[in-house]
Amino acid sequence: MKDYREDFPILKKEVYGKRLVYLDNAATTQKPDVVIEAISDFYRNEYSNIHRGTHYLSELSSEKYELARKKVSDFIGASNPDEVSFTSGTTDSINQVARSLAPDLKGNEVLVSSVEHHSNIVPWQMVGAKLREIPKDEDCNLLLDSVEITDSTKLVTISHASNVLGSVNNIKEITEIAKDHGVPVLIDAAQSIQHLPVDVTDIGCDFLAFSGHKMYASTGIGVLYTDEQFADIMPAKGGGGMVDKVTLENTTYLKPPLRFEAGTPDIAGAISIGVAIDYLNDIGMDNIRKNEHAVYSYARDRLLEMDGVTVYGNTPQMCGAISFNLHGIHHYDAGLIMDKMGIAVRTGHHCAQPLMRSLGVDGTVRASFALYNTKEDADMLVEGIEKVRMMHA
Amino acid sequence: MRDTVQDEIVKEFEGLEWFDKYELLISSARKAEAMDEKFRTDENSISGCQSKVWIRSSAGDDGRLHFEYDSDAMITKGIISLVLRVLNDRYPQEILDIDLYFIEEIGLKSNLSPARADGLASIIRRIREIAEEEASGSS
Repeated sequence: MKDYREDFPILKKEVYGKRLVYLDNAATTQKPDVVIEAISDFYRNEYSNIHRGTHYLSELSSEKYELARKKVSDFIGASNPDEVSFTSGTTDSINQVARSLAPDLKGNEVLVSSVEHHSNIVPWQMVGAKLREIPKDEDCNLLLDSVEITDSTKLVTISHASNVLGSVNNIKEITEIAKDHGVPVLIDAAQSIQHLPVDVTDIGCDFLAFSGHKMYASTGIGVLYTDEQFADIMPAKGGGGMVDKVTLENTTYLKPPLRFEAGTPDIAGAISIGVAIDYLNDIGMDNIRKNEHAVYSYARDRLLEMDGVTVYGNTPQMCGAISFNLHGIHHYDAGLIMDKMGIAVRTGHHCAQPLMRSLGVDGTVRASFALYNTKEDADMLVEGIEKVRMMHA
Repeated sequence: MRDTVQDEIVKEFEGLEWFDKYELLISSARKAEAMDEKFRTDENSISGCQSKVWIRSSAGDDGRLHFEYDSDAMITKGIISLVLRVLNDRYPQEILDIDLYFIEEIGLKSNLSPARADGLASIIRRIREIAEEEASGSS
């Protein structure tokens, strides 16, 4: 297997004089040279504001921006690029859908899973929706038999993969159930887009959200896929670039995607997503899945073999994150000690307090993997855990 | 102004590797008393910390402030134990005036950043707020 670490300059860095073992990829992934260079090259040679410019650089920037949209559209299997709008990230994407659908959602019910990130909980509450959970079993499998859709259910919103557990939810089946009742579905793909092939046509969802920075592109850019049948919904944000006619009495809006992109977008960010997608496609999402699965399963098995370690969640498919606790040791102490060994993990509630409550813990240690992690990284994690325990002995 | 207790702490940490520093903090935490369960309330807890932290104060007859504290994370508790080795049983005005230079000198300065999950900055702020209330109340 190729050593993908070579593609990521930051991974050659030492921290505290030790090889960096970066296992905080569910928070954000590092950037490959091709992405860093593309951003720098764009600002050096091609940069201008996009759309409606009459000059050379504006044409060039617009072309590159729209090409990035096309790449995203192909990458997620959208029926056309107009279904892809750029946002500032998953959180922004979900908030935009919440605001656009607010008149329908207010006082009604939104069905969420029991493993959601706060960004798939709070936006719905903010527009006055009532949240109901799809229950889960003790391994954190969502219980589809318990999915109950009522007349009041106006949306089903669910993460493809959990940012805490790495569990992959059966989004296709849930989407099917919702669709049978004519209820739209939003998929939060923030934790799956970098690990698994994601195809909106195959899933059948109406909305899909993800972030650039978790899939090797830059921060500040995200994607919202909106099925074309929602092309006429009220945009969540108003401003320049998204209007057809403006008078002081009334405004009409453009069709998507520009309808959903008020103001100057993160042009370089969008281009970086396009380049990151090229990078992923060159390796192949199936290969990425296969390689990552080997490392992920190895790491998980090693943790499961250890006494005094509780690993949370166990679903048929898993990717990305592994959450665990060491008996009698606070997750924060564990994280601090591992940091000094050059091991970057995250500790705490991972923006998923309802899930933590249901697991009966305040927080966990989370090691999360990306395409450049190796079995050696997993061995280092185990070594880190042993060191933490030794220091608490 | 140098302070004997802080100088003592600086000396204890001098020349230690990170793991030894953490071991020392863990052992300080173990030696510290546990706070009575009944005082581990929301009111006494400090938000902004990744671990749970509780602090409670009482004023002695002479006006000196005594703090009790606890945390469910050992390194955090160890750090608070050092801060309170310096600040405990002092007059409110002294607590407000003391420059906690030892934190930087033992290499924990980055823990003071408000972005840090251990919330050391919040803990010190709370201790000073309590001292401030006492100082203005008794003046």
